Amino acid sequence: MAETFLTYNALGSFLVRLMQIGTLHGPTLNDLGVLSFNPVTSPDLLQLNYQRTLLPPKKYLLPPQSPILHYAPTEGYTPAKTPGDEILLFGLHPCDLAGIAYLDRVFLDDRPDPLYASRRERLVLVGISCESDEYCFCGDVGVCPTAAAVPFDLFLSRQDSGFRIRTGSRRGEEIISWAADIVGTAGAETRPAEAAETARRICHAVGKRRMFEGSTLWDDFAGRCLSCGACSLCCPTCYCVDVREYGAIDGQTGERVQEWDNCLFKAHGEIAGGINFRKTRQERFHYRFLHKYYGFGPLRDVISCVGCGRCRAVCPVGIDLLELFGEEPA
Amino acid sequence: MNRPVIAFAGLTACSGCQLTLLNCEEELPQLAEMFDFAYFPMGRSENDDCCSLEVSFVEGAVSTPGDLEILLNLRSRSRLLVGIGTCALWGGIAAMKNHQPRLELTEAVYGNFANAVKTFPPGPLSRFVTVDFAVPGCPPETNQVMQVLASLLHGTLPVFPGYPVCTECRNRENLCLLIEKNELCLGPLIQSGCNARCPAVSVACEGCRGPATEANVAAEIDLLVEKGFSREEINSRLRRFYPEWDNGQRY
Repeated sequence: MAETFLTYNALGSFLVRLMQIGTLHGPTLNDLGVLSFNPVTSPDLLQLNYQRTLLPPKKYLLPPQSPILHYAPTEGYTPAKTPGDEILLFGLHPCDLAGIAYLDRVFLDDRPDPLYASRRERLVLVGISCESDEYCFCGDVGVCPTAAAVPFDLFLSRQDSGFRIRTGSRRGEEIISWAADIVGTAGAETRPAEAAETARRICHAVGKRRMFEGSTLWDDFAGRCLSCGACSLCCPTCYCVDVREYGAIDGQTGERVQEWDNCLFKAHGEIAGGINFRKTRQERFHYRFLHKYYGFGPLRDVISCVGCGRCRAVCPVGIDLLELFGEEPA
Repeated sequence: MNRPVIAFAGLTACSGCQLTLLNCEEELPQLAEMFDFAYFPMGRSENDDCCSLEVSFVEGAVSTPGDLEILLNLRSRSRLLVGIGTCALWGGIAAMKNHQPRLELTEAVYGNFANAVKTFPPGPLSRFVTVDFAVPGCPPETNQVMQVLASLLHGTLPVFPGYPVCTECRNRENLCLLIEKNELCLGPLIQSGCNARCPAVSVACEGCRGPATEANVAAEIDLLVEKGFSREEINSRLRRFYPEWDNGQRY
């Protein structure tokens, strides 16, 4: 399909049209002034020149805490209710789209998770290009050339006078056709994709299977880390969850709940009898590094860092795993 | 169905933890149906001092011979003993001045009558008896109290998260008072379960729920010192609810 063009002047009308199609969510300031993805009640509230939200869009696909099963003696286990209406998630940066691409591989490729699938199906992804800052490094393409193509229904690339709109799905084409009176045809693209030096350096080191075993940074990280969990809660691709069961006060029924876990928590590697696979924080950092840059299971050798910069921005003690790559000879 | 016979008792404390149970207003009729509250001096006028108990919930620190007598009595009658609230688990507010001589403190309050007051430095229940389960908080969260009661009916005890308040705070997308406002927030050290109740209304975590699992005390103190807080100020905040921090602990 031909690419279309949306002038900055027409953006407001375009957003109003989107709000007529479905529930619009996007980057806004919440009650405490934190930039986060929220339902948008008025297009004016959208912060489209934002750097990054606190939580990534994974909260729509894998909420911090969500029931997965309900138990009752008469009915046995019943799956949790699947979510309702379509959500138009507007203003996703390429890194966050790459995060969703990774989660899709985790939850849909190997053994599809029906709850994830239902949440994924109801999302319409509208991407937007961004300017990088001192924390992030994705460029326009995700970390490595091997990364899965980023999924989107629509993607808006900033140009001098407006956005160049690419469609990435049938749903995206439908939306554009409903907004045909607002968008125009696109001229030649004027802004090239950004190159990303940090991403290049990571890919190079991972290609050589660098583990940085001898680095003094491991001890430094472990000594400072507060195990607050922020790095993985805010990571678009961290998907480790814990599963808990809560019996109800009727003494009969109960709920099985899935909630975000973190590899820096003691309980993450703990099993029955108090045995722990990763007793020390050093070991937990090594594990985190391995998972992020070398992948496990069916996603072995897939880098899951998308370069959004959240883990660096939200760490209270300024720990940055990427410092390890600084030790790689150029 | 068998109604578990239970006790709700208080030692040296403000009774706020017992009040937490009474605050579960919507659930009270069902609770009365599911449990036999045999001993609950705050909630009923006639109490059974002798019967066997499935579970005793005990609030407060042990600070007087009378406290100890109640505690030993409940322990010897109960299959399980659950410490409820910060005082029962760590000594709490009452233990804030435990590093000062007891007589000095009693004199400050009771003057010449200080010697007549039979009291010793407030300590947690676990210093005297076996405690089977802990519900932290000052006061505890009603949902955690309800989870314990519900779990008992299912023949088990709940698993409370050991990670710090920060985790729940980030999940709610609160403003980080430590990073963004440079406030003396104890979130990284303190056990979660409160759903970051205070930071959610822009109040820094004061540490009422006691230490998280493997709290990195030394790193938090380093961070706060770097932000310009004095060690005295930090220690005073730390000691408010939990008197026994190991300031060098890093894990």
